[in-house]
Amino acid sequence: MRRLFILAAAAALFAGCSSGGSGSTAASGTNATGTNSPIKLAMVTDVGGLGDKSFNDSANRGLQWAKTQLGAQVTVLQSRSVTDYEPNLSTLADQGNDLIFAIGFLMHDSLNDVAPRYPATHFAIIDSDVDQPNVTSITFREEESSFLAGVIAGLTTKKNVVAFLGGIESPLIEKFQAGFAAGVESVNPHATMLVKYTGSFDDVASGKEYTSVLFDQGADIVYAAAGKCGLGAIDEAQSRPAGYYVIGVDSDQDGIAPGKVLTSALKHVDHAVLALAADASRSDFPRGNLVFGLKEGGVGLTEMKYTRRYLPAGALATEKAYEKLIVAGKLVVPSTLVQLKAFVPVHLAATK
Amino acid sequence: MSTPWLIALAVAKVLPKKATPLIFAALGGVISENGGIVNIALEGIMAGGAFAAVVTSYRTHDVVLAIFVAVLTGMALAAVLAYFALAQSADQIVVGMAINILTLGMTAYLVSTVFGQPGASPEVPGLRNEAVLTWVALALVVVVHVILYRTRIGIHLRAVGEEPRAAATAGINVVAYRYAATIAGGALAALGGAYLSVGETHIYSDGMVAGRGFIALAAVIFGKWTPFGAAGACAFFALFSSLQIVLQGGAVPAQFLEMLPYLLTIVAIAGFIGRARPPASDGVPYER
Repeated sequence: MRRLFILAAAAALFAGCSSGGSGSTAASGTNATGTNSPIKLAMVTDVGGLGDKSFNDSANRGLQWAKTQLGAQVTVLQSRSVTDYEPNLSTLADQGNDLIFAIGFLMHDSLNDVAPRYPATHFAIIDSDVDQPNVTSITFREEESSFLAGVIAGLTTKKNVVAFLGGIESPLIEKFQAGFAAGVESVNPHATMLVKYTGSFDDVASGKEYTSVLFDQGADIVYAAAGKCGLGAIDEAQSRPAGYYVIGVDSDQDGIAPGKVLTSALKHVDHAVLALAADASRSDFPRGNLVFGLKEGGVGLTEMKYTRRYLPAGALATEKAYEKLIVAGKLVVPSTLVQLKAFVPVHLAATK
Repeated sequence: MSTPWLIALAVAKVLPKKATPLIFAALGGVISENGGIVNIALEGIMAGGAFAAVVTSYRTHDVVLAIFVAVLTGMALAAVLAYFALAQSADQIVVGMAINILTLGMTAYLVSTVFGQPGASPEVPGLRNEAVLTWVALALVVVVHVILYRTRIGIHLRAVGEEPRAAATAGINVVAYRYAATIAGGALAALGGAYLSVGETHIYSDGMVAGRGFIALAAVIFGKWTPFGAAGACAFFALFSSLQIVLQGGAVPAQFLEMLPYLLTIVAIAGFIGRARPPASDGVPYER
């Protein structure tokens, strides 16, 4: 709430530059009712804006791919504050776009208000579920990439203690925790897992302090699904000798501290945007909720180019084998703590 | 982990990190409130200090200069509060809140313009051992105590906070004292912000102050507007948040521990633990 208040205030301050369209609209075609005219795609960033090296940039990449691969016309409107969401969405709908992406769950309420006013326009929202007939909701199976991160962590830990550091306890973060725990359990029955929550997504110092305590309590790998608290976690790993690692989330954080970030559990918003754009270009707008997991290329791990050499022999092969199992639907990763309790660890030797 | 000794050791390691930024900010609050200006802008001033320190370190790679610039930034922000409170007789709470909103919005905007990426700065050069600042904070507790209670300046300042008209009659320049106390308080709060950024984490990130300015305000009240009292309250708050970090995930309901100090603050304000009495003219605009 406080955050929204601040953002609103910041918006008032910089009203001059708010909702400035950094549009890249191509040649103005006639309305996209004709079958031969290119499809018109648009997106509204959340307040993170372009340049966040994460969520919004990833979505924009997907849109640019659609431009080159599908010949789509694309427009991007940036939101400087939460009060920009509704006008931005409405403006794009008025301009006759065929499919408009709302990037991030922060836009849930705005889209829920705007979508019914434009029944002929299709919308899509990332990371949230908006229940309207003309909205496609896109969510990700973060538990699956977390599972693979758990496999890597379980095989790499020398102390047989790994840790999960969450932000604010919520169903979204629970997915990360459940998946990670299941991955660790599957490859290393001797490993114990410590779990703590910072209660915040932006208290960097607190993230560092928690990580320090987790390392002191015996863990040598901390999986931080705690927003910017994760930056504090990475900083703590940097101040430790070799053998202490953090696993990052969402974007590729491996390069922030090369050799200290074991891997990052990625969320490919770009792939999801392109996939939906491709459907839309065939006038086939998927309804309801689309879920992107490993199978759909929606989540995954990084290449681990800085940390490959620290992994035990066979770790990458094992990780790939688990990935295959999940993609084939032979292994269902728990996404809640209740499911985790019922989860029977899948040991690869047994499944072979 | 299971033995009390290990817990104590772990807490002892985290506690100074939790307490130091709070002590700086609370001391800032003690000084300005003893002069009669309520500074609820501590949160925003900490953020301004944290940001200024990181930008300076990013550009110059000079950490000492970075901390110096943070202090100047804190003084400037506090001067804005003092100006509206003194020259315009504005409501201090409203001005303080405005500064909080302005600072948090401004830093969020400036992060993306200065560093070319929104949200957080990249890693910048910082203090190798932030414990230095913990010792500075503790030393300042003594210094502020001595100034407030053992010097003529301190007696004058407290007179200005209690009975400004009587103080003015005695020949004390009320406005000058209030300006000085507020600006000195801003300098201290900014040091707390710099501790968080170039001291502990070596980055600036939006929202990283995370309410510490408001907790420091609570510590000022809990500590009955005295330097030792406020610092003690900060240590007390820090003890519970450290315990919660260390014990979380075990058998003790850690969230309860985190809540306890704030519950006690409410009890203190309600007057159950002794009487929490602010300086008589705290927050009251001075009109000649």
